[in-house]
Amino acid sequence: MNEIFTSLRRSPYQTFASLSVLFFTLLLSGLLFISLTFLYGVLNYVESRPRVIVYFDTSSSQDQIFKVKDLIEASGKSEKVTYISQQKAYDIYLEFTKDDPLLSEMTSPEILPPSLEVDAKDPLFLSEIAQLVASEEGVDEVQFQKDVVNNLLSLTNNVRKFTMIFFSYLAFMSIIVLSTTLSFKIALKKEEIGIMKLLGATDMYIRKPFILESVFLGILATALSNVFLITLLIFLNSTLGNFFADISKLDIKILNFNFTVFPFSVTFASVMLTVTAFFSLIITLISSFIATNRYLK
Amino acid sequence: MISFQKVSVSYTSSKNALSNISFDIEDNEFVYLVGESGAGKTTILKLLLNEVRPSEGTILFLDKEITHKKMKDSHTLRQSIGVVFQDFKILQDDTIFENVALAMKVKGFKDKDIKTEVEQALELTGITDKGLKFPQQLSAGELQRAAIARAIVGNRPIILADEPTGNLDPKTTWEIMNIFKKLEKTKTIIFTTHNADIVNSMKRRVILLKNGQLISDKKKGVYEL
Repeated sequence: MNEIFTSLRRSPYQTFASLSVLFFTLLLSGLLFISLTFLYGVLNYVESRPRVIVYFDTSSSQDQIFKVKDLIEASGKSEKVTYISQQKAYDIYLEFTKDDPLLSEMTSPEILPPSLEVDAKDPLFLSEIAQLVASEEGVDEVQFQKDVVNNLLSLTNNVRKFTMIFFSYLAFMSIIVLSTTLSFKIALKKEEIGIMKLLGATDMYIRKPFILESVFLGILATALSNVFLITLLIFLNSTLGNFFADISKLDIKILNFNFTVFPFSVTFASVMLTVTAFFSLIITLISSFIATNRYLK
Repeated sequence: MISFQKVSVSYTSSKNALSNISFDIEDNEFVYLVGESGAGKTTILKLLLNEVRPSEGTILFLDKEITHKKMKDSHTLRQSIGVVFQDFKILQDDTIFENVALAMKVKGFKDKDIKTEVEQALELTGITDKGLKFPQQLSAGELQRAAIARAIVGNRPIILADEPTGNLDPKTTWEIMNIFKKLEKTKTIIFTTHNADIVNSMKRRVILLKNGQLISDKKKGVYEL
């Protein structure tokens, strides 16, 4: 450990450059990781709540609506069917517009359509339920989440591709900068390496201090970037709460392991720490191997 | 035992650095390699360190053939060799103790064993009180003593000394030679030099090289070019 500190102290600018590059790489990777996990969380949330909303004409009778409700329940494809009367729709509307009394005053229960909210047993049943009720008497419009899910899926896939490409670029740049700064240090120790080789040092023995130094910088950069990311998540927790409105919890599943993405949890922070530490380890190991290889040949 | 059997080395196609050289060196033997600059003395040492490969012939090192040893495996034979050079090759940022200890560290010795053996080596070479000093604080003679101490620690049966007295004044040269005399009972020493006085006074085996060829190999030889 003393040798690592001494070596870092002897080349402060190179140390700063390496640490900065690693820090920003891990910070950006962490931000991309958060974005991606949140998107997957939202996707998971939407997919786990397959819902069809059947809107009726304002003139529809309650009998017509309950006939459709019975039809849906009889199909065996629904988990739960909730009737939203015009009055209830109006109450919901008032709750949403409580900060804007003008909007509330302009609306009355009579102009809002009654509806049925159908929670499907499986996302695959969404379009079947929609087809089942579309031609029934009094049905005005059927909305379901197929489009929302498709859009979210497409967005998530694009973000994932972008993340992969951007991370590869960041990792590549970090490896170049780290291996170059490390090469300067190794060049200064060329004579020392020559002596060690004459004494019978193995390549690994010569590599070890440089690898340890890089890994130490990686650990430091991981710690710093995670402190920043976790602080950011804690700070944004309430803002995100407002943003996600009635979504109280976002979960995702990675390798049979379920964890909560939102609200902030220690598990999520631990996963983020593990992922960034892993990236950092890969980057620092590759960089130090590239740099030392040049001088061991 | 070290054995060179019809060994040739060519760096360029026109001239051989060594031509058809054969000799054997027994365990704990002291051998001078003498000859003019470019005669091939250092090439022999480089062959033993696996820094160069022979173009022809066979080399046995501690009874094992190393003729075609891969460069990346050089450490296995270098761990049996102590090296002493004219320019000392001492690490400037490390203390004398650390410099000597390095020869054991690269072989994976434990700290406790390193401390004991390095202290013994420093005592044998007469620099016990210099262990905590840095190379800049030592004279040339003391640095060469440190290099010898580094060459003998860590169970290294062979010492290759490439003109180790080349940078030293006559008095220090004899002090260094006295250390080598103490070591010859337990180590095989291959010693290259241009110093006729030390060769003639010690009366040890002398291998004379000229233009890459072995001219003479005498048991109790003298320096004659």
